[in-house]
Amino acid sequence: MVETSVVMILFGSFLLLLLMGAPISVSLGVSALASFLYLGENPIKFVQIAFTSVGSFPLMALPAFILAGALMEAAGISKRLVDLAESFAGPFTGGMSAATVMACMFFGAISGSGPATTAAVGMLMIPAMVQRGYSKGYASAITASSGGLGVVIPPSIPMVIFGISAMGLMAPPEAIAQYGQFQSVSIPKLFIAGFFPGLVLSVGLLIMNYFLCRKHGYKGTTEGWSMATTMTAFRKGIWSVLAPIVILGGIYSGLFTPTESAIVAIFYTLVIGFFVHKELKFKDVMHSLETTTWLTGRVLLILFTATVFGRLLVENQIPAIVASSMLEMTTNLYLIWALIIFFLLFVGMFMETLAAIMILTPVLLPVAYNLGIDPIHFGIVVVCCLSIGFQTPPLGENLFIASGVSGSSIEEISIKALPFAFVSVLSVFVIAYVPEITLFLPSLLGY
Amino acid sequence: MTIGKLIYSLIDNIESFICRSLLATFVVILFIQIVSRQVFNHSIAWSEELSTYMFVWFVYFGASYATKLAAHNRVTFQFKLFPPKVAVVSEALADLIWIGFNCYFVFLSYDFVFNKMNLFWKSQTLGFPMKYVYMILPIAFALMTFRIIQVNYYKLIKGIDIRDPESLEVEKLIESSDKETQSN
Repeated sequence: MVETSVVMILFGSFLLLLLMGAPISVSLGVSALASFLYLGENPIKFVQIAFTSVGSFPLMALPAFILAGALMEAAGISKRLVDLAESFAGPFTGGMSAATVMACMFFGAISGSGPATTAAVGMLMIPAMVQRGYSKGYASAITASSGGLGVVIPPSIPMVIFGISAMGLMAPPEAIAQYGQFQSVSIPKLFIAGFFPGLVLSVGLLIMNYFLCRKHGYKGTTEGWSMATTMTAFRKGIWSVLAPIVILGGIYSGLFTPTESAIVAIFYTLVIGFFVHKELKFKDVMHSLETTTWLTGRVLLILFTATVFGRLLVENQIPAIVASSMLEMTTNLYLIWALIIFFLLFVGMFMETLAAIMILTPVLLPVAYNLGIDPIHFGIVVVCCLSIGFQTPPLGENLFIASGVSGSSIEEISIKALPFAFVSVLSVFVIAYVPEITLFLPSLLGY
Repeated sequence: MTIGKLIYSLIDNIESFICRSLLATFVVILFIQIVSRQVFNHSIAWSEELSTYMFVWFVYFGASYATKLAAHNRVTFQFKLFPPKVAVVSEALADLIWIGFNCYFVFLSYDFVFNKMNLFWKSQTLGFPMKYVYMILPIAFALMTFRIIQVNYYKLIKGIDIRDPESLEVEKLIESSDKETQSN
């Protein structure tokens, strides 16, 4: 019975501290420490994990992408991408809101963060939509809903975190015996795999948007689509369009690792911002460095304590117990996927995305292995599910930002965002049930 | 600004200065490595190791800086059910536990670096003692403890509300878009 009491201490103290309002990193650390002391294990492991969990080269992609995203906004790259999307889709029915979805896709390709995408796109698109007669609530809802695309379309910070968390977890031998060897997890592979699932989510949103706009009578701009406008926007935005091509092209061709491609993106942005657009100032660079500092410090402190926590879970066989109790309920893989998806959606409503990934990966990935689910496929579904959490209360960062930008109430936006949340959940089910959507591109590119 | 104030603001933001310098340095080192590999076909042996160690220092000083900004994520929706005083008291108690955890960790890591660690353990390519690299752990966690006390001093005694930078940013966005709609 020793094992169950450790689990009680671990989860009991974790939940208690969380409800007391302790930072997530501290709740994880203190509950892990309490279990260590209870088990009489040497807590010196904490010190070693503090160093080894953070001191890994692939993890440097995280600050590099945060810095690249912050600089791109200051350098005027995101603004030009939004203009381009507007000139493409503006003239069609529901075109402005479709342009918002497309802008989020473009922007998602350079930035790795959902709220940043919502803020950057919403600042420009929400006023533009309202000007064309869209209701404020609808304009905010579509922005908040498509802002989540920013974390699914690579490069994506949650995928970096999933990759790091998953790399340390070997597939259990009994799962290998049953299903054969699993492919290894790597960040480039996740980035390639995320491309089509991101597209599926976007198409879902676009279709829902088309029908809603037809119902509300949101017409396109009266001038009609003109080649000239698009060409002007394209010419002005050419350096911005090249940014995602540089980043993704470098990774997909195998020329750069994700960290390196983010570093290249940083220098590309500095050159464009200082010499081509001439919008970047020294002050902005300092501000971007500062933002990167506290964001990285905050996330990676969680990584340290979550690694200790996760190791305790695995040592005490928790994932195996969860997997076997799930299999006792049902052996139908579709039903199990549904259970996992609803669980992740629920967690995504209450917990910050990166923290949720770091805490849940050590529990759920071994479960996935035991069920014969491909780890890359699993990671993409996790990221997609949690991205929906951005647009649902009570912790929908995108809702707060969209409400802040537009001035409509959070309640109104949440209700108007419901159809989009519904279609996104539907898309996640499609992605989960058809693994080929995720897995065919990596295998095509020889990963 | 007088010299005294300048020195004060330098010390008060010490982690921010250190972190910005470290971040800028390792980004440049990695860029030089990429250029040297792709253009000159020459791989620099020490760049990966040095930048990884700088990164670890950057992360833990950054964690301390995030503490100063009160930016560490907390779960707060449950406090909506209670009067605001409950949240203040409960978070202060949680911070007390945090301080306890940090003190114990400082002791552990200090003990590890000075007593338990093999003194002759050197880094692989650069050859400096790992002792100095691990030193960041006691330093940063001690600094973080100080920042927790600082934030709580401002919050509880001085009555200054320290807001996390994310909500400040959203507020700034709202203000600027308000101004725009007014001028339109």
